[in-house]
Amino acid sequence: MTVAGNRNLIFRLGGIGFLLELADVVEVVSQITEALDPGRSDIGQGIVSALQFRQTWVPVVDPALKLDVFSAVKLKDKAAIILHGSEGNWALLVDQVEELSAVENFKPCEVPFLLKVAAMGFYSQIKLLHNEPMIVFDPECYYGSNAVSA
Amino acid sequence: MRRFGLFRIGKLGFAIPLLQIQKILQGSKYYVLPRLPGAVAAVLVDDGQLVPLLDLGQILGENSHWEQPKQGYQVLVESEYGTVAFLADLTGRIVAEQKGTLSTITVKEKDCGTIGKFDYQGEEYNILDINFLAIEMTQGFWQNKPDTGGARRHQ
Repeated sequence: MTVAGNRNLIFRLGGIGFLLELADVVEVVSQITEALDPGRSDIGQGIVSALQFRQTWVPVVDPALKLDVFSAVKLKDKAAIILHGSEGNWALLVDQVEELSAVENFKPCEVPFLLKVAAMGFYSQIKLLHNEPMIVFDPECYYGSNAVSA
Repeated sequence: MRRFGLFRIGKLGFAIPLLQIQKILQGSKYYVLPRLPGAVAAVLVDDGQLVPLLDLGQILGENSHWEQPKQGYQVLVESEYGTVAFLADLTGRIVAEQKGTLSTITVKEKDCGTIGKFDYQGEEYNILDINFLAIEMTQGFWQNKPDTGGARRHQ
């Protein structure tokens, strides 16, 4: 599906909810198995595979590695969110793309002072959607020149 | 007159000065977040704020109680660094200090975030040092290592 508009995209990883601003989202690919080439990986950079997308190969980043999140979802059942970054398109591997939700549905919520150190470098913002914390996913932390290896 | 909230989680009894108890919830939903420190089991949402839920089982060398108390209380407690929450069984009570007996503790127990003992009707409750625990348990000084028998400090 192609996505656009003033909404946030909700995805899940290990049962944890994340929100992604749509500005950088190119497309969501739900059937990825046939388009993957695991031989093109660079684990040091968090790249677990390459994905054929629109006649080219894009790096696939698994944020679960950096976030230390356990996912029980098999690779064939995962989805890829194609993002446009400073170095071109890349794919974000997620368990499930859940929904699009209007930005006004999200309420700002501070990361507690006591958890800021642990979260540093991984996420800095959380918003509440129906009283559930959603981590604001910052793509630049995970791929590109600003990303730091896990 | 000082009063304590007395709670149990599994075999562990703990006491919190009443003035530090902000709220007692029941049946709140917990959420796991990535990269939580080992002694923070989850967070809960209260009045639009996230509250770290600390696993007391890791402090006093008990096995983690995180799996058990889905129907218990969540005791929200004020610390100097923000609100923290503890899980408790459905046996909590408020008791005046003179109804029980205060006793001293060993150095080792003090190092584990307990500042004293309160004996009430034949049961022993650890009086928690909330400020100490809030910092120690959220800044990564405690690790979840069941094979080592519970809480261990990073060296």
